[in-house]
Amino acid sequence: MSPFSFICEDSSDDVAVIVADGYIDFDASPALKQNIVRQIDTGSRHLVIDLSAAVFIDSTAIGVLVGALKRVQQSSGSLAVVCTNENIRYIFEIAGLADMIPLHRSRDDALSALARAA
Amino acid sequence: MPSPHLPVQPEAPRSPDPSAGDFITPELRLPAKASELQRAREYADQAAASFGFSEPERFQFAFAVNEAVTNAIRHGTADQAGTIGLRIAAHGDRLTVDVCDCGPFVDRAADEDEPMPDHGRGFDLMAKLMDEREVRAHPEGTTVRLGKRRRGMSDRAEGDGG
Repeated sequence: MSPFSFICEDSSDDVAVIVADGYIDFDASPALKQNIVRQIDTGSRHLVIDLSAAVFIDSTAIGVLVGALKRVQQSSGSLAVVCTNENIRYIFEIAGLADMIPLHRSRDDALSALARAA
Repeated sequence: MPSPHLPVQPEAPRSPDPSAGDFITPELRLPAKASELQRAREYADQAAASFGFSEPERFQFAFAVNEAVTNAIRHGTADQAGTIGLRIAAHGDRLTVDVCDCGPFVDRAADEDEPMPDHGRGFDLMAKLMDEREVRAHPEGTTVRLGKRRRGMSDRAEGDGG
């Protein structure tokens, strides 16, 4: 059984939610990037990456998220991350990304933040 | 090329004192594949749990080990059997891990001039999460040594606001 999985959901015409489950590491990062690129290429300007079910994330996955942020910003879009795992939130903090990539406690909060930014 | 010999501790060699909680784990020879990272994390977490780290500390220790092993897989050189090596040792208040591969060290740090680099954070994160981060180049290859100190009760009390 794969230690990670991704599910893509369309929240609205230009908002996509990618749900990441499991261990989002160097093994999983290519698939995460593939899912993100596919959503952007098919018209999603705003992305929510839902890490609620993620139990681990590493620097390669963080790099994919930073790359995604740069891509959506090119088309005046935005990125939000849902994360409730305190260990993962700490990693974002010490990586200096807490301000750059907003972390939300729920998907509703993330979607509301994107709506305000749009 | 033979597997690199895992180096002894940088201090004067001493045998682990089991009565003091010291231990050395059996070496883990890990196929240099991304799909093997979970084994490395589990190996690190078991040692961290045996050492008595708190749950956040266990996560941080496993995270740092994951970064070092990922670097070895991505940028290092496996041995003839296609493996890299890990060993964890507990001495006193410190838990250390050695991650060895057969190649020269490749510095892939993030570009300091790039405000939002896509890569290169792993090495910096290792330094922030651990109390010791040392890269050793030796004839057989490269060893990355990471160490994390167990916080004493007084440290924890200060961190909790007393």
